[in-house]
Formats: sequence, C-alpha cells, structure tokens
Amino acid sequence: MKLMFKTTIASIVAATIATTALAEGVGGVNKIGLAVPNLQADFFNQIKLGVEGYAGKLGIEVIVVDAKNDTATQVSQVQDLLTQGIDAFIYIPAGAAAAAVPTRLARAEGIPVINVDREPDGAPGDTVIYGENVMSAYQVCDHIIGLAGGKGKMVVIHGQKGTTPEVQRFEGCKMAMDENPGVELVAQQWSQQWSPDEGFQIAQNMLQAHPDIRIIFGQADGLAMGAAKAVQVASLADQVIVGGYDGDGAALKSLVTCDTPFVVTATQSTQAMGVLAVNSAIAVANGASVPARQIPNAVLTTCDNAAKFVEKHP
Amino acid sequence: MNSTDKKRSLQFRDVFSVGGATGPLIGLLLLCAFLSFATDSFFSIRNFLNILDQITVLGVMAVGMTFVILIAGIDLSVGSVLALSMMVLGYLNVEASMPMGIAISGALVASALVGLVAGLLITEFKVPPFIATLAMMSIARGLANMITDGSQIIGFPAWFNMGAIIRYGGFLTSTVAVMLIVFITTLLYQRYREGGRALYAVGGNPEVARLAGIKVKRVTVLTYTACAALSGLAGILLAARLDAVQPSSGVAYELDAIAAVVIGGTSLSGGTGGVGGTIIGVLIIGVLRNGLNLLSVSPFLQAVIIGLVIVLAVAAETFKHREQ
Repeated sequence: MKLMFKTTIASIVAATIATTALAEGVGGVNKIGLAVPNLQADFFNQIKLGVEGYAGKLGIEVIVVDAKNDTATQVSQVQDLLTQGIDAFIYIPAGAAAAAVPTRLARAEGIPVINVDREPDGAPGDTVIYGENVMSAYQVCDHIIGLAGGKGKMVVIHGQKGTTPEVQRFEGCKMAMDENPGVELVAQQWSQQWSPDEGFQIAQNMLQAHPDIRIIFGQADGLAMGAAKAVQVASLADQVIVGGYDGDGAALKSLVTCDTPFVVTATQSTQAMGVLAVNSAIAVANGASVPARQIPNAVLTTCDNAAKFVEKHP
Repeated sequence: MNSTDKKRSLQFRDVFSVGGATGPLIGLLLLCAFLSFATDSFFSIRNFLNILDQITVLGVMAVGMTFVILIAGIDLSVGSVLALSMMVLGYLNVEASMPMGIAISGALVASALVGLVAGLLITEFKVPPFIATLAMMSIARGLANMITDGSQIIGFPAWFNMGAIIRYGGFLTSTVAVMLIVFITTLLYQRYREGGRALYAVGGNPEVARLAGIKVKRVTVLTYTACAALSGLAGILLAARLDAVQPSSGVAYELDAIAAVVIGGTSLSGGTGGVGGTIIGVLIIGVLRNGLNLLSVSPFLQAVIIGLVIVLAVAAETFKHREQ
C-alpha cells in the first residue's frame, strides 16, 4: 500500500518534470493553502517550513494563514484561501474544538483536504498525518523514571486539556509509571497554550506544594523548559529530572548544552510531515489512494544525540 | 406636501448617515479600491459575502461595546461572556438535550446576568468600569470552563451549522441576517428612542444628565446588560459558524471590539460617535484581514499593519478635532 503510494507520487513527479520542465506545479496542483493554528509554536512553524521548502522545489505556490489559536479566525481564513483558488488544502485545526467547517467548505469546492496533527470529529479529510504519541511518550517517561532510579514523586504538566496529543501523551507516560510501582504521581495540571511561561508557573506551584519532587514530565518542550527553569530557580537542579516532548529548535539546542534539569525529549519528524502532506495532496488530486492515517514516529532525543537534529531537523 | 417629503427624506438620510465617521468611511472606500486593483479575487460578490460572514461575531459584539463606550464606560468582559454563552448553549442543547429555543434563551439570560452584575457593581458599589468588567471577564471565563471542565462540546443539530453556511436567495446566511437586524434596530434606537438619546447625555456629562431627569444609574445598568446580551448573541452566532463550542473561544475579542468602535470614530471619553461609525470600523477590520489574506501577506506583517491602521484612524480623528 505504502509502496504503491510512493511509486504513484514518484511517477507523477517524474512525469511532470520530464514533460513540462518549466511549468508551475505538479499534477495539476499549482497552489496549496496551508492553515496553521499558531506560527509562534515551533512545531507548526517546522511543518510550515517543511511544506514551503518541498513545495518550492516542485514549483508549487504555498499560501499560509495563521489563526493565532482562534477557531473562528481560522474558518474566515479558510474562506479566503478558497477564494484564491487553491488546488489543495492542508488543514491543521486550531483550538481545542477542531472545527469541521473548513473541511466542509473545501469539500464543497471539491479540493483535497489533508489534515495534519489533528482532524475534526465527524469530518475527516482525505488523510491525516500526525506524530505517534503513545509509544514516544512512554519512551520519554521511561527514560526520566530510569534516570531517577525507578522511584520517587512525579508530576505531569499537561497540554491543552482534551486535545489528542494531551490525552495520548499522558496515556503513554502512564504506561511507564504503572511499570514502576515506586513512582508516585503526586500532582498534575493542565496548561492552555503549551507555553514555557505556563510551564514555569505550574512547576513553581507544584514545587512549592511538594518540595521533594524527583521527576517532571512536560507534555511539550515549552512546558518542560519552563518547568526546568522553575526547578533551577528553586535550587533543586540536582534533585529533579525533566522530560519534554516535540523536539523544538530551542529545546534541542538546550539539550546540546545539557546544563539544565531538562535532559530528554521526543523529536517529532515535523519537516517530514510537511513533505508528506504535499505528496499526499498531489496524490489525492490525481486520484491515487493514500492511507487514511499516516503516523511518522518521534525519536527519543537526549543530550547525546541532540546535536545531529539541531543540524538538520527531521 | 413638498416640504414634508423633504423632511422625511432628510430623516432617512440621518439614520444611515455616518455622523462623524466620514474619515473612516473614506478610509474604507480607499482600502476597497486598493484591494480591487491589487488582487484578482477581492472584488467579487462571493468575496463580499465572505467578508459579511467573517464580521458577524465582531459586528454584533462591537454594537454593544459602542453603547458602553458612548456612556464613557468600557467592557472588557465581552470575549469571556461570548464563551460563557456558547458553553451554556452547548450544555443545554447537547448535554441536557433541550430544544434549541430554550438553549438560546438560556445562553442569552446567562450572558445578560453577567452584564447586570457588572452594571450594579459600577453604579451601586462605585467600582470603576475597567475593574468591574475585568473581574467579570475572569469570572465568566472561569464559569465557561467549569461547565465542561475545559473541554469542547459538539453535536448540534445539522440545521444549526447550515444556518451559517447556506446563503438563502444566494445572498444571506441566517447569521448575517441576524447581524443586519441588530445593526438596523440599534441604529434606529440610537437615533429615535429617548433611551438612545439618553446614552449621549450620560456619556457627555452624567451630572447634567441626572439633573435633566435621566435615571443615570438605570441607563448604566441597562447598557452593560444589553452589551453582555449582545455578546451572548455573538456567541450563539459563533457556535453556529463553528458547529462546536469551546470555553477558550473569544480570548482577546474585547480588544477587537474596542478597536472597531474606536476606528469608527466613537470617542473613548464618551458622548460622541455611534453605531453607524462602528459598522464602518467593523468593515474596515474585516476588509483589511480578508484583503491581507488575499494578498498573501505574512501573518506577522498583518499584525503590524492592523496596528498601524488603528493608530492612523485615531490620529486622523484627533487632527480633525484639533482643527475644529
């Protein structure tokens, strides 16, 4: 299945380059609309860079809109994208309520809809591409619990409540906790924006309530790095181990220097997701079948192997 | 005969005159002219209808904000009230399976109550409007989150979302129709009803208004209640547009609403301006966002440009007043 998909893409790309070397676009796709929830978040910015870089090589124009985390803004922006006559639509839903409306609007125009990161309930796109969460979160938590000697008080700083990554990353981490009876989950708290300032504040309050915390899992690198800062401020850097998730640019650099309690993350293949999204868009536009779900793995990243990811983000 | 005709047509012009907002109107027309030349896709019926769709929530909210600012107040709670209204609507209709009519009424009542409390805090306890509505902003947001413990609600009846998508007669979605009704009703109210005129009196000088026999406290409380109810209505329109409700909706919408009112020429110190100008202010923001998207302007640059337009609009008004 996957092989067939890849061959189809390859043949379409090859055929187009061969016949119309100077023509714009590939397989009838000249213009792609990309709706991003929030470009402040490095994760989405990396996907955008992946889409733009790859589409640029193929001579496809990419129009990017940034919803600043607001679902209503995103619906308006998608209307504007459709007005501009896009040939395919890459949709990363904004806000906790992934709106079905953008998908319906694009469907009404007969345009391929490629969901990345999440898909709205009841209105799936032609395919959804998202990072594997459960196993990777398990690996991160397993690693930090291991570093703490398999026991001690642990806290979890969640992402935005109810979102798929929030739920799945906790599920994975819970598996690691359950395997180590010596680990005690003493507190957990949800953030709104997955942001470092929230991570800092939440961790500070947790450390106030439980000064003997050994292990902190932040469900995103922003949260984890904020928490690591709070640990340093509380002068507990020797005692606490912090794990994160996503493999943001800033987080990877921090891992290379390795001078904070934040020591491990799971690096998502964000740029690869962007490339995959463009390929899927071309395939769907040309009637080829694509898998309903495409799930690239995240790679466990520690101080030892972070350097190569800084050089080239996967 | 002839003279009454003339009088009537004059009145008609009065209602739809933009009174003091000629600057913003010229700005809006220039903006539209520029975008029509700069892009292929701007000047079309379809895009114009899209813009109307896109400004419904802001439009309804900004009308309420105009009244509050007219009486020299401010309402920071509108974004949170919008979220509270959406969550009450979702809870009543989906979780408690009540008919939509009851759910909508419930959402509006819940919103109006927030405004009522803010109004009473301001009039009876002499809390400054900025602080009273800041407190209500926090309280309403918290309540909205408590209803579902922070998660979203989906599963509205199909017709609810269709109301925001289907264009009856190829032109009007139900949500846009609601916005237009709000615009026309409030324009008429502001110009012809005693209550509408009282807003200007209270905003101009509350003491003089009181001596002239206007019940200032009553007007103030009713204004905040109406503003909150309109935010609640905006929340219902947004729920229809998104086909889902979430407690994190409407963050920082109060700033958009205030910006629209100010761009439309209503003075933050109260007493001058009106709904006519605000409608233009809302259109400027809507056209600008739409146009910048159509021009594929980078999201970061868009934020800078919108800030510059606010500065320009207010500076233009200030210069005009100085010349007078």
